Amino acid sequence: MEANSDGTPAFTNGPILRLENVQKRFGDLEVLRGVDMELNRGEVVCVIGPSGSGKSTLLRCINLLEPPEDGHIFLEGREITHQARAERAGDIDFVRRRVGIVFQQFNLFQHKSAIANVGLAQTKVLKRSYAEAREKAESLLKRVGLADKLDEFPDRLSGGQQQRVAIARALAMDPHVMLFDEVTSALDPELVKEVLDVMRELAAEGMTMIVVTHEMGFAKDVGTKVVFMDGGVVVEEGPPKQMLENPKQERTQRFLGLVLEH
Amino acid sequence: MDQVIEQYLDLSVMFDSQNLDEVLHGFKYTLMLSVIAGALSLIWGLVLAVLRQLPGRLLAPIRWLTIGYIDAFRGIPMLLVLLIIYGSLGALYTQGVIPEWLGIPRWFGLPDPFWVGVMAITITYGAYMAEVYRAGIEAVPPGQMEAARSLGMSHGQAMRFIIVPQAVRKVVPPLLNDFIALMKDTSLVSVIGLIEVVQAGRDIQAETLNSSALTLGAILFLIVTIPLARIVDRLIARQQAKTGRGGPESPVTTGIAGA
Repeated sequence: MEANSDGTPAFTNGPILRLENVQKRFGDLEVLRGVDMELNRGEVVCVIGPSGSGKSTLLRCINLLEPPEDGHIFLEGREITHQARAERAGDIDFVRRRVGIVFQQFNLFQHKSAIANVGLAQTKVLKRSYAEAREKAESLLKRVGLADKLDEFPDRLSGGQQQRVAIARALAMDPHVMLFDEVTSALDPELVKEVLDVMRELAAEGMTMIVVTHEMGFAKDVGTKVVFMDGGVVVEEGPPKQMLENPKQERTQRFLGLVLEH
Repeated sequence: MDQVIEQYLDLSVMFDSQNLDEVLHGFKYTLMLSVIAGALSLIWGLVLAVLRQLPGRLLAPIRWLTIGYIDAFRGIPMLLVLLIIYGSLGALYTQGVIPEWLGIPRWFGLPDPFWVGVMAITITYGAYMAEVYRAGIEAVPPGQMEAARSLGMSHGQAMRFIIVPQAVRKVVPPLLNDFIALMKDTSLVSVIGLIEVVQAGRDIQAETLNSSALTLGAILFLIVTIPLARIVDRLIARQQAKTGRGGPESPVTTGIAGA
């Protein structure tokens, strides 16, 4: 049985992530209006929907970058949305040790080389030795096809390369769940595939993933489930093939009609 | 006409060995004040800027205090700060409220007006530099903090390893501008009795009715400040070249402290 990086036994029973009626607003704007979702170990859930539907906010709520105002989130059976201030710091630690996120804009540390980007949090957060962190960073960068770019700085890397460093950086923390927030949307078309290939491999290795994406091909091939969001709620969810070819809801049909038309 | 030129550029006054000694001795104080107070201001300013960015409701009082401090000392003439500290420390020592080492600070064998000058400059320029650092911190894209936090770093770790190192790089030119202003402001310390380069020139002017020693002081300032100004220009040009290539957000390029 594998153990977590903080020494607790790995979690095995029930869904790894469960959302109940998650709500989030920014001022008067209700971005999430009660989202329910369940994610099992090894699942790859692809979240699709028009911009402004709350997809990105949902991911940011799950790792508490934007704590939800209402509703509950359970990660590996433990609630991470306590309202009491005293418990919040513990919630945040618990989530950040288990959930990795990759952003649309990469957000690589601009003043650090690729390998330092992947190594830094390992030494500062997980207290790994420098040698251990470096070894891990090197092997992860090799895994995402960047063995020859270890010492390059972000501004010397293409968007696709930067995004692969960002994936390696998140993986270095040994996450149990990976969140991908439109990670190919800021890339030139010819660079999209190299990033999606890395994600495909991750999924094939059994990583549990939530992928917010506009890549319908990816959702169909790699997703175990597709969720369609609109107006801050989940409109419909189901197996990828059925969702993309025969959606039941009229709103889903209309969205897919617009996306797949061209 | 000759008399006019002589008034400002009388080489016999400038290079009279006793006069020259006095001016150079004064300039030594000017340089020491600039370097010591400059280094302390850089550190104190960064501390203030970081305190100002502390997160959460719990730490709000610290943020308010910091903002109050910065507002106050950006808005008060340094001369006034200098006079308040000098007079009050002496008085409090005489009344037995504070010990002598603080009332009449003569640390490392340097005179007390020197150390009072260091205090006043650090208090004032710390506030200026805090604002420069703040601009730098705010110019670091918010995604950097989010990425650091998402990897499990605390706010403090993210500031220390990610935000501040990037912010400092962005604000080197305006900080250098502030340093130039600071160096010029060291002449104010003459009012509490430190014979730095301006006071030395003034004393000679009073004795000889000739201003050449002050001209020499001006030249000594320029020998330091002009190369610094060129360095600032070059750094700004380099940063602009970088942002012109589509690099990160444009940095802050102007100082805010006036002399």
